[in-house]
Amino acid sequence: MKFLNSKNIQTIIIIIAVSGLLFLALSGYLTPFFNLTVNPLISLQSWISVRYISARDFLTTPRDITVLQEQNALLESQLTQLQTQLIVMEERLGEAQVCFALLDFGRTNPQYNYIAATVIGREISPFLQYIIIDRGTNHGVLYGMPVVTQQGLVGRVDAVIAGAARVKLITDSTSVVNIRLKSAGIEAQLVGSLTGDVSLDMIPLDVFVDPGDVVLTSGLGGNFPPNIFVGQVLSTQRRENALFQTASVQPIVDFESINAVLVVSDFESVDINPLIPEPEQ
Amino acid sequence: MIYHLLYALLLVVFFVLQTTIFSQTKLVSGTADIILVLLAAWSLQEQAKNRWLWTVITGILVSSISAMPYFAPLIGYLGVVAISEALQRRVWRSPLLALFIVVFLGTLFQHGVYVIILKITGAPISWLESLDRVILPSILLNLIFSLPIFAVVKDLVGRITPLEVEV
Repeated sequence: MKFLNSKNIQTIIIIIAVSGLLFLALSGYLTPFFNLTVNPLISLQSWISVRYISARDFLTTPRDITVLQEQNALLESQLTQLQTQLIVMEERLGEAQVCFALLDFGRTNPQYNYIAATVIGREISPFLQYIIIDRGTNHGVLYGMPVVTQQGLVGRVDAVIAGAARVKLITDSTSVVNIRLKSAGIEAQLVGSLTGDVSLDMIPLDVFVDPGDVVLTSGLGGNFPPNIFVGQVLSTQRRENALFQTASVQPIVDFESINAVLVVSDFESVDINPLIPEPEQ
Repeated sequence: MIYHLLYALLLVVFFVLQTTIFSQTKLVSGTADIILVLLAAWSLQEQAKNRWLWTVITGILVSSISAMPYFAPLIGYLGVVAISEALQRRVWRSPLLALFIVVFLGTLFQHGVYVIILKITGAPISWLESLDRVILPSILLNLIFSLPIFAVVKDLVGRITPLEVEV
């Protein structure tokens, strides 16, 4: 009977109560009670937590902004340096590509010798289409030498000094180039214009010219070597009562963004003007 | 003396800028002629001396590099300064108005000279196309650039004026 003293009875009652509560909790009978008591606690915890985080952010953010600003400035500085390096590398890559292309043109056209030159300026008057290159008589450039790029015909040396030369582009309004159309098999004249557009003139009316036909130099007149690519025919125009038809040409060379050229140094242009009979007065 | 040095320096800078940048900046087929605008702005400065001499030097320099025949740029620039001289006596109280008029009429005169000379040499260009595609866009560009160039020239001349007095 010693076992049934008051202390042991109290322990047994607590164990039974706890077991009962556990049994009731595990079997889900206490869920409404828990919801009723725990949910307000969670809400209170959330409320306090949000306020704490806000207060902490408020107190610590200024320091973070300063750090972030420093980091941002550092990163911006690094970005600027990298962009500068990128621009330099792109410029070098562009120059290398131009050099490779010019070299490739020289290899594919080995019958001529070339002098590579950089475009350093343009004609001041908007009525004329000329470029200025950084090679002159000191480098072997002479008056009348044809000028090309890896793509095709550019023009002809119009004036030259010791260290520079002026090149008349084929787009100039006073420029006339004797050409031949590859597919049509005829010869015509390529003329420039005030706006820099080029067109074909002196095409016989009985010839059908396909858009896309390739325009090459014919070599007639002695100003340019034959078979240099000039461009492609865009469209033809026939005027009523005209003796010849005309055609618009898309030049292969982009004259607006031309940076480097090749001067054909061993081509001697022929001045045929003395051979042309003057009209009788 | 210092005015001459200043103009020579400005001329070199503007000449390089014109041949490298402004000749490539096109509106339709027209381009700005900042050397013309420089001359117009310079000729409107009261302190500027030997305007005609510098105009001739500028004209010869540009003519030597340009493919325009018969010293056409020189003729054009002389016309610009002549217009400036004529206008200065009439609208001198309003330098900006005078600048705009000089640049407008000067560009018109210069391009008129260019077209006439090119037609004489046999270039197949028409007046209407020249006016539409080159002259009017060029006038607009010159007028746009005239304000900043005038401000630079006026500021530089204003800065060196006390130095000139001391000298």
